[in-house]
Amino acid sequence: MKFYWNIYKEFINTNISEASSFRLSFILIILLDLVFYLSALGTVHVIYDHVEAIGPWNKNQLMFFTAFMLCVDHLHMALISESFWRLSADIRMGNLDFILLKPVHSLFTVFFRYIRPSALFNAFIIWGTTIYFGLQIPLSALSWVLLPFFIILSFSLLAILEFIISASMFWITEGIGINFLRMQIQQLSRWPDFIYQYFTRKTFTIAIPILLIGSAPVHFLYDPRQWEYLLGLFVALVVSLLVLLKVWSLALNRYESASS
Amino acid sequence: MLKLNALKWWQTYKIAWSKQTTYRLNFVLQIIGPTLIFFFIKYNLWSAIFKSNQEIIINGYNFKQMISYHVWALIVSLIAQGHSAINLAEEIRMGKISTYLIYPFNFWEFHTASFLAFQSLQFFVSAVTISLFYSFGILQDLSLNYLIMGYCFSLFVSIFWFSLQYLTGILGFWLEETWVLRIILMIASAFLSGAILPLEFFPPWFVNILNWTPFPYLSFYPIKIFTGQSIDLIAAYLNIGLWTTLIIVANHLIWKKGIKLYTAAGM
Repeated sequence: MKFYWNIYKEFINTNISEASSFRLSFILIILLDLVFYLSALGTVHVIYDHVEAIGPWNKNQLMFFTAFMLCVDHLHMALISESFWRLSADIRMGNLDFILLKPVHSLFTVFFRYIRPSALFNAFIIWGTTIYFGLQIPLSALSWVLLPFFIILSFSLLAILEFIISASMFWITEGIGINFLRMQIQQLSRWPDFIYQYFTRKTFTIAIPILLIGSAPVHFLYDPRQWEYLLGLFVALVVSLLVLLKVWSLALNRYESASS
Repeated sequence: MLKLNALKWWQTYKIAWSKQTTYRLNFVLQIIGPTLIFFFIKYNLWSAIFKSNQEIIINGYNFKQMISYHVWALIVSLIAQGHSAINLAEEIRMGKISTYLIYPFNFWEFHTASFLAFQSLQFFVSAVTISLFYSFGILQDLSLNYLIMGYCFSLFVSIFWFSLQYLTGILGFWLEETWVLRIILMIASAFLSGAILPLEFFPPWFVNILNWTPFPYLSFYPIKIFTGQSIDLIAAYLNIGLWTTLIIVANHLIWKKGIKLYTAAGM
């Protein structure tokens, strides 16, 4: 574990050096996140100016859910999002050879190598927004304690599901489209499960558990008696991790090392 | 000379067409997929909002009218906003534009011919989409007149969108990552153009400000044209025409300035 942490610290250092060389890009990424947050929260705000409730939730509950998902998205943007775009090019050009030769698990090097330090700057804004709407509901003391852990759990499930989807890049020539598919999955998970109709909800809860990313922890935070959501989240995490390890091993067998 | 030039445009058009259609899965995932998923989410969201009573009117829309609005938003985004200059900045950064500096076919000509090929494909995709929604009974009041007017205006908007994408692409002379600008534009335009929520949902003072920007003309007004609602068509063409002209002039100036900085990396 310490070995991996030391490598990760080096990744962070090199990414900070790289990011500080391109200052305008650095600022633009901060701006991008802000525009995204405003758009996501603004959409919910404007809708609730005209309706009383969507499903069982009032305005503050859906605003909290959206802020929660933005926290997950914030971690995603800062820690792993860049890696998916690099992977598609690395497979096509055979650059993955250098990663596979290293004495660390390839999943770690492929998906945790590139970090966006600029995205971390918005942490205060999005965490502040989440806390603000949490206070409006208001959340129980237990929910406040669990909140950071749930954001990490949700981020982990999102990341694992996206790693699985990205593995399909090994089977096709041009992987950029897969990245767009991945982003659509994020879009679907940014709305609570109850807006989807029965068949869609079941498919995206059981077969491809993307609706558990946000809906499961937030339902539990609002009402701890809904423990089955939390159980679903844990089961989805374990099963998805096992599927990922299998799929990744198959994907690496498929890799043709284009440059060799 | 003119014939030779037309031949170059035609050949580039054909190459771009075959490039788009060779990686069909990629095309579906990259271009059609996002718009369909976007529509799918909106359909589910409004179904949940109207669940208790589909006949209630929210800001002038009942459930059917709201879904019809979002179907047209999907069509408009296919025709007008599908094109992305995803490769422009990379070509500049990797030194690939050297080819255009040597060959008797300009960088902008190549990309404009590619854009035309892309638009032809999108024209076909949007027509199939309209037919499908019509056959499912979701688009009931189709009028050929409004269809032609809507297509003409959406195609005009697509020129604006292409110019804007081109602008973000050629900023690659200065910026390491132009995708950030492109995504900012896409998020802002989705929210402010009425693609997510009809503009009737925004406060009137805000819509008045928006009307001075190109945003409402990217989705909201084209949808109104397709659905046969009266809008000031001349003002709409003037607004988009003016913005497009401004951006084309900016593109010309930026290219002239940027090419002086070009280092032909990798040569």
